[in-house]
Amino acid sequence: MKLKLPQLTFWRVVAGIIYVIGLYATFLRFGKGLGASTNLSDEFPWGIWIGFDVMVGVGLAAGGFIIAATVHIFNLEQYKAIARPTILTAFLGYSLVIVALLFDLGRPYRIWHPLIMWNPHSVMFEVAWCVTLYTMVLALEFSPIFFERFNLKVPLKWVRAIYLPVVILGVILSTLHQSSLGTLYVIVPDKLHGLWYSPFLPVFFFITAIAAGLAMTIFESFLSYRAFGKRIELDILVGISRVIVVVLSVFLVLKLQDLSHRGNLPLMFEFTQESVLFWGELGLGTMLPVGLLLIPKIRENERGLFFCALLVLLGFILGRLNVSITGMLNTETYFPKWTEIAITTAIVTLGFTIFSIVVKNFPVFPLEDLETMPLSAHEKNPVFSVRLVLGMWGLLLIAMIALALAKKNELNHQVPQAALLNRTVNPLEQKLEYPPPFEFPPGKDSPGLVIFDHEKHNEYQERPDCKPCHVDMFGLVIITNVPAITHEMLDKGELCGKCHTGSGNENESFGVTKEADNCDSCHEEENGE
Amino acid sequence: MSYAILTDLTRCIGCQACALACKEINELPKEDGALKLSATTWTMVEKRHDVFIRHQCFHCLEPTCVSVCPVTALEKTQEGPVIYHEDRCIGCRYCIMACPFEIPKYEWDSVLPRVQKCIMCYQKRVSLGEQPACTSVCPTGATVFGQRDQLIAQAQQRLQNHPNRYVNHIYGVHEAGGTSVLYLSDIPFDQLGFKHARSDEAYPKLTWNILSQIPSVAGVGGVMMFGLWWIINRRITLEQEQKKNNSKSPDSNQKKTP
Ligand code: SF4
Ligand code: SF4
Ligand code: SF4
Repeated sequence: MKLKLPQLTFWRVVAGIIYVIGLYATFLRFGKGLGASTNLSDEFPWGIWIGFDVMVGVGLAAGGFIIAATVHIFNLEQYKAIARPTILTAFLGYSLVIVALLFDLGRPYRIWHPLIMWNPHSVMFEVAWCVTLYTMVLALEFSPIFFERFNLKVPLKWVRAIYLPVVILGVILSTLHQSSLGTLYVIVPDKLHGLWYSPFLPVFFFITAIAAGLAMTIFESFLSYRAFGKRIELDILVGISRVIVVVLSVFLVLKLQDLSHRGNLPLMFEFTQESVLFWGELGLGTMLPVGLLLIPKIRENERGLFFCALLVLLGFILGRLNVSITGMLNTETYFPKWTEIAITTAIVTLGFTIFSIVVKNFPVFPLEDLETMPLSAHEKNPVFSVRLVLGMWGLLLIAMIALALAKKNELNHQVPQAALLNRTVNPLEQKLEYPPPFEFPPGKDSPGLVIFDHEKHNEYQERPDCKPCHVDMFGLVIITNVPAITHEMLDKGELCGKCHTGSGNENESFGVTKEADNCDSCHEEENGE
Repeated sequence: MSYAILTDLTRCIGCQACALACKEINELPKEDGALKLSATTWTMVEKRHDVFIRHQCFHCLEPTCVSVCPVTALEKTQEGPVIYHEDRCIGCRYCIMACPFEIPKYEWDSVLPRVQKCIMCYQKRVSLGEQPACTSVCPTGATVFGQRDQLIAQAQQRLQNHPNRYVNHIYGVHEAGGTSVLYLSDIPFDQLGFKHARSDEAYPKLTWNILSQIPSVAGVGGVMMFGLWWIINRRITLEQEQKKNNSKSPDSNQKKTP
């Protein structure tokens, strides 16, 4: 490997800018804390770092375990060609999810705590274990590529010896945590909107992760072709798209069944923001691609296939965000701050950068298995077309308009604006247990101790009113903090002087000026005087 | 035997003495005025429709927060209080997200933030056999501390003796699987914004029903996959052997490599 200065290309400049902004955001996050760097709050404690980076990231990396199982357990050799890029994507995906978690955790340096402080009742504990173990599994699954590159025969032999159990372990771990990400939300039945809450969330998360993982392999294959001129045979991708159709159909049936079972089908047809988002997920992101993929002409066409894969991916992303953000209680209080978006963007870009570096330096695409195509200027762009881009923007526009017109968020637990309540009980009509009489610290020339008696003071009032002394809620403290009250203070109308103005009016409290000649009203007479 | 707090909304005059006492004993800053629960206000009295409602952690019998915490930073003690072990917390905020009563709060402005909420004065009072600061200062006896079953009996007594004064419900006996903070009221609880917490089963059961399946899923799944691999592999080997026998070429039965 020769060290070469990377050429400046358009995408590299863009990536560079993203990294610089991301670094500044990172500095804000760790220098100033979560409050300053995010729009999170007690009302909405999980934002896009969880909702997008973790929920979506883990799902998109699901291709890793599916393809590994297909090739090594089911022995479907023809898929071997995509095994390596997919496993690389998965490994990168999981590593970046962990990076994102370091940003999101309040105490990132304790990220290892779940490994030694066990709470088996916690879904997150389980996810933590599975993700940790699975990342190791992915590293093992990826390691042959590394060993091949540096021609390390011995470790290569070892890894091959344990490869099958490792793959099986990987499938189990993936099944568990892909579904457990959904289980995380099973404990908030009152906080997640009825269109998404279900005890079957783990099942839905698992199924949709499979579809997304597969769609990702198609998507990635086309992008790799664009970037590196390496591509997987169309036959394989068409085969994958068939599986996607089956998986998504199963999801559709189960999802609709669950909704009707829970009596929530009508929610789909109310014109609310939730239902618009729901249709975006289920209509545009699930039904549409399934329908399109059923048409052979679209399925067997590169652009058609790419478009459908893109729809599935967008539908998946929307679906995850719906559960984690837009469908949650208090979602109207949250919109990601620029720092949150900057860091998420930087992490995604980092994924692309590492992927392309690894692909260039390691045998990720086994050349003999692939159709290598010369990149002519014209052919470099087989999947992006004006029609495709217009189509995507069109869909997005329609969705935006619908969202803007729809009724605002429903799941908004506010205190019901009840009609005026008729209280039959008046709490003030009861015997109060006042705090014990309170001694003011005596000043230098005090003629005697001043004792404040709550009970006596309230006797003179029509109804107990604490406000004059307890100015604000914690005004009491201000009084107790005064070392000694002087008559100058009272003359200025502070403290006792507030009420004891001595205007002579019968309803007013007596004055406390030095001249008033009624010291014994407040000061206890000293002995012997 | 576990402790609890009973708050009778018909007796609360909104003096905030409990809120103040809580701030004093827990050394919390008083500047924020305690308008709502926050990391520095663990209890406060809110006026909703002429009724003063004291908010604090419910100290659920089967706390959601304790069940979701991945590192056991939250703990339900034998005595009843749900307490927090700061040194374990990783700051995932799942407790804040999951608590059905929206109680735990986070120190968002701190670089090393903690989760904060009422801990029923566990270390400073209850574990020493004393009552919490807040109940000890209430001038009307609206909020009192005691054994949970005794408090429930006391509340039932009040409902019986003054059927016209109260709505016939003790909030917290069944809510969220039962809580250690109970309420009596003269106005229906839902009109006061008290959560309709599910009472048929405690929240942690929702996820435990699923989590407890894991060992069987993992076991069965593992065995099934290994079986599948074995069957498929066997078939392929057989096919290859057959081909070999047919063509008698010795080199076609190579072991597969990943
Ligand atoms: S009210 Fe919330 S914070 Fe308090 S014990 Fe129950 S679940 Fe935990
Ligand atoms: S924020 Fe802390 S206390 Fe709350 S669930 Fe996470 S680790 Fe536990
Ligand atoms: S029990 Fe203690 S911590 Fe809880 S509100 Fe009362 S004074 Fe505060």
